[in-house]
Order: sequence, then structure tokens, then C-alpha cells
Amino acid sequence: MSEKILEINDLRVQFKNGKEKVQPIRGVSFHINKGETLGIVGESGCGKSVTSLAIMGLLPDKTSEIASGNILFNNQDLSKLTDKQFRKLRGNDISMIFQEPMTSLNPVFTIGEQLKEPLRRHKNMSKSQARKEIISMLQQVGLPRAEQLIDEYPHQLSGGMRQRVMISLALLCKPQLMIADEPTTALDVTIQAQILDLLKKLKAESDMSLMLITHDLGVVAEMCNRVVVMYAGEVVEEAEVNDLFDSPKHPYTKGLMQSLPSNNDRKSKLFSIKGQVPRPSEITGGCAFANRCPHVLERCVKETPPSFTHQNHLSKCWLQDTSYKEVNHDETKGTAIR
Amino acid sequence: MKQKVLLSVNNLKKYYDIPQGLFKEKIIVKAVDDISFTITKGETFALVGESGCGKSTTGRTILKLTEPTGGRIIFDGNDIAALPYKKMRTLRNRMQMVFQDPYASLNPKKTVREILTEPLRVHKKFDHDTRLKKVKSMLEIVGLSEYHLDRYPHEFSGGQRQRIGIARAVILQPDFIIADEPVSALDVSVQSQVINLMLELQKEFELTYLFISHDLSVIQHMTDRVAVMYLGKIVEIAKTEDLFTNPKHPYTKALLSAVPITHPKEKKERIILKGDVPSPANPPSGCTFHPRCPAALDICKTQAPKTSEHGNSHSVSCHLYNKIEEEIPHAISHS
Repeated sequence: MSEKILEINDLRVQFKNGKEKVQPIRGVSFHINKGETLGIVGESGCGKSVTSLAIMGLLPDKTSEIASGNILFNNQDLSKLTDKQFRKLRGNDISMIFQEPMTSLNPVFTIGEQLKEPLRRHKNMSKSQARKEIISMLQQVGLPRAEQLIDEYPHQLSGGMRQRVMISLALLCKPQLMIADEPTTALDVTIQAQILDLLKKLKAESDMSLMLITHDLGVVAEMCNRVVVMYAGEVVEEAEVNDLFDSPKHPYTKGLMQSLPSNNDRKSKLFSIKGQVPRPSEITGGCAFANRCPHVLERCVKETPPSFTHQNHLSKCWLQDTSYKEVNHDETKGTAIR
Repeated sequence: MKQKVLLSVNNLKKYYDIPQGLFKEKIIVKAVDDISFTITKGETFALVGESGCGKSTTGRTILKLTEPTGGRIIFDGNDIAALPYKKMRTLRNRMQMVFQDPYASLNPKKTVREILTEPLRVHKKFDHDTRLKKVKSMLEIVGLSEYHLDRYPHEFSGGQRQRIGIARAVILQPDFIIADEPVSALDVSVQSQVINLMLELQKEFELTYLFISHDLSVIQHMTDRVAVMYLGKIVEIAKTEDLFTNPKHPYTKALLSAVPITHPKEKKERIILKGDVPSPANPPSGCTFHPRCPAALDICKTQAPKTSEHGNSHSVSCHLYNKIEEEIPHAISHS
């Protein structure tokens, strides 16, 4: 059994919107083992990014709070840390790559000025030392002419190069955990292939754990060891990557895979999940996916399903309830066909 | 002849000048450099390529949102490049566009009701009540509901905004729609809904699409013919099946191999291209792809390749194919 580097237990995040309170994260639990790549898949608005912000302690102070649950990083509860304590952690032990390389770099500072910040803060390096370190890191992520590039501004770089700069920024202090929030979504396929290749190579070199947030199942298939599928602020399925692709259990995961164009005949109507992700305020009792589910049972509307686990394959769906299946085997089948 | 040509683009060029100061020579960026293709009525024609290769500029130039520098665009008998502004404006109710960036393409000061009635109002279609009915049914079709009518764009997610953009283009029921990356901002499950919607609308109204995208799996699914663009030039045109089963240009091969796998057990031989797309302001000499090409020959550095036909309306611009057919398999075996 490998060591857990990050463990999230029943995390609930609450946002205040005027007098209304919404919970975009409703009881999320998962863990990341040391040295593994965990993929987090889900559609926009399902809470992937909010979860990662909660881990980094970057949730906006005034409008949001962690309502319950805890985030354990090396057995230290992150949800109770003060700002000052967080600063020591961020960029040092945990670092993050953001989605848009275009907007996440400051346009008025040179690459070098931005990259030396974590080194000066966390490692107390001298300026010349930091510069050397940055140049070697830039070369490591495959950027050409690093000595000149360090004095250039972000607008002088292409999207792929900026994302490489972001990756080198995240790697500078050799973090134990890297969170990559849609690192390749804004990039072209050929550049995406380069960046994924780079991330794989860097991971193989160091003992880093990677939490890869994405909506692209292809990226997951390529990169991850284990996958967490999120829907409407909950974890609906968690499995080894091969298990998940071979036998997805939750109807949502099945729907996601079937709706990929490459899994459908050309020009045919694509399989699609009807409707859209409910807003956090619209979710009442029962299973959050019930209104879009093709196999919906009466029970789904009334009761929230617990997590059923079979051989490390977790799924939050009443169809997985073995006791239920034994009693009403025929009925389940009947509904599934309909 | 059964198929009627709806749009034909001949030697289209779009150059941008970058002034370097009063007495210095301007730098000319050849965003679109001498491309030609035809689109027949009812088909879906795709433009693929990486960002900066000129596919969006092509789309915008066809709609005359930017003036072409040279060449002719003939839409149903009208030469768009020579058409005066007013005539072009009325013609636009037959050709509409879905834009790439749902954040920038909707007016933040207008409600959804205003955004969707505007095209009907501008083209003087229907009276007030019918317009509202149209807008409501359109919202329903694109997967939004009536209570969204009086909301502003910032209240929607990126995906929902793109659907408003699609609704705005389809509401006039045009013949021809230029869809500039319409689904790249959408989630997989929503993406499939929108693709289905586009396919349905195409059947119903005999729409013709120019589908601009970088997502090859979407292109493989929904288009009839594909043109691959690189640095302002079309390097390969083929029927979609032919292109995906038998890509000829080395760039097309690399592009196809870069598509992520669909199953973790799938092994894929990947051609990873080095470097980025060069700047169109300073393109490489000869074949513009040669610095990244795994099969570059000496001739590629100096001479731009000619386009050669390979049957079944498959044409390629590459020196590898200007020689005898038999040499081909050896010349481009994967490195």
C-alpha cells in the first residue's frame, strides 16, 4: 500500500451569493498516493477547479468558506491553516499550473522576474543563484535559448512556450504535489502532445505526485493512473484508469465515453446525455444525476446513493447496490434497456 | 451535374501590414496566402490547422468582415470581394457565422432577448410577437430555456454562451454557416448535443457548413471534406475518410498522430513535431513546413512545393509527391 500524499475527506465548500448560500462542493472525498497521477474529470461547473482552489487555499475569503471536511496534506490539515502558513506551502510543497497560459503570467514583468519569486521567497537564494536555477529549469522544460528568454516578456512567447514557462514556475521549488488545472486545454493538438510528453518525462524523473484536472478523456487515458469522475460537486466514480475505460459503472461516465465522436459512427447522431449540469442551487434530494440518467429508478429521486465499492472501483449509483440487484434483478435490467 | 457549387474561393489572399516607422519598410504578414477551394451545397467542409495558420482569417474574409487583399470569393454567383457594403449586408442573412470566443462575441450590455432578436430586426423579418416566439423556440433548441431570456451574457457559463452564439447564427435560417471552432469551448456531453443539433439543422434546412476547427475527432465525425492549413497555405485537401485513412502530407500525419488516445491500452506511434508554428511575418523559405518536417529534403528548403492531384479529389502540396509514386512509401516512413 503506497503512501497517501493528499487526502480529502467529505469536503464541503460553501459560497455566499447575497443571502443565498450554495454548495458547489458537496462531500468530496478522494486521495492521491505518492508518485501517482490522479485524473479529475468532469464538465465545467462540476467543482473540479473549486476543489483544487480549496487545496491551494485560494478560495475567495469573503464569499466562500469550507463548511465541513478536511484536506490532509502529509497529515497536516490544510483547511485550518492561516494565510501566512499557506504561503510557506504554496509554490514550495504544492504548486499549480493554471488553465490559461495567456492570462496567468503578469504581462509587465519579465519571465525571469516572475520565476525568481518562489526561489527568493522559499529557498532564500541570491539573485545570481536564482538566475542560474531558472535558466537550467527553462532548459529542462525544453525551451530554446533560455538565456535570452529569461529577460523577455510573456507577450513575446507563443502559447505553448508560455505554458512551458508556467510548468517551470510550478517545478522550480521541486514540489511534492503539482496540480495541473486543464494544462493543455488552450493549446493546439501538436503542442498538447509536446506538453503531455514533457509532463510525463518530468514525472518520471522526480517523485512528484500529479493531480491532473481535465475534461478531455483522451488526456486522462494517456496520463493517469487513477481517475476520479466528478459530477455536480460530488465524486460519482473512482477507479484505476484501465478499469474505468473497460467497464465504466456510473451512467454519467458511460454517457461521457459514449458521447465522444470517435466512439460513434461517422455522421450518425452522437450519443448525448440530455439536459445539462444542474446549478448548485437546483440540486435537492436524491441523486444529482437522476434528471439526466437513462436508467433512473424511483429510488434515485428520493434517496442520495452512497458510494459502493467493488475491488477499488467506487461508484455512487443505486444500480451498483448488490443487495438491491439480487432482489430486483429483472427490474433493473428492464429499466436499463428502456 | 447534381452538386451545385455554393461557394468557390479562388487564390484568396489576405495580407496584413505591420508598419515599422516612417522610413522603414513594412513587414507583410501573409495570414492567408493564395488558397483555393470550393464548397458544394449541403456539404460540410472543414478547415483544420493549428492556431495562427490562418483558418479563422479565411472564415472572416469569406464573410467580408475583413477585406481580402486579392483573389475572388464567389457565393452563389455573387463575387463577394467586389460587392458594395450595403449589398453585402443584405447577403449576410444567407451567410452567418458562429464565432470562436463566446466571451468576446456577445455584447455584455444586452440581454439574451436583445441579442437573439437583433438579427431578425436588422434583416426586417417577422413582427414583434413572432420574433419572440422564434427566439423562445431557438433557445429551446440550443438547450437553454425561457427563463434565460432576460439575463446578460456574464450570467452564463462559457458553454451556454456559445449556444447563444449558435442560436444567433441559426435564427435567420441561412444557407451557409461559417462555424469558427463552435464546439471547442464546450464540454464533451454538451459538445455532442451541439454537434447533433448542427447535423439536425443541416438536414432540415439543407445548410452548408464551413467548419473551422482544430479538433480532429469532431472533424472526422461530422465533415465531408477537409482542408489542412499550415501557415496560410492549404497543404492537403481530401475527402474526410481518405484523409483519416490515408494522410499524405507529413504535417497531416503529425497532426493525426497527436490526437489523444481513446483507451489507455491503446498504443500509438506518435510523431511529435519539434518547436512551434513559425511566425507568419517571417515564414521559412521554400516549403514553410520544412524546419519541423521529419521527412524534409534539400529541395524543401529552397523551393515551395506545387500542388499535385492523387485521384478522388485528393490533393497535396509536398515535394515528396512531386516524384514518382513508388518512391513515396520509403520516403516518408516514420522516423
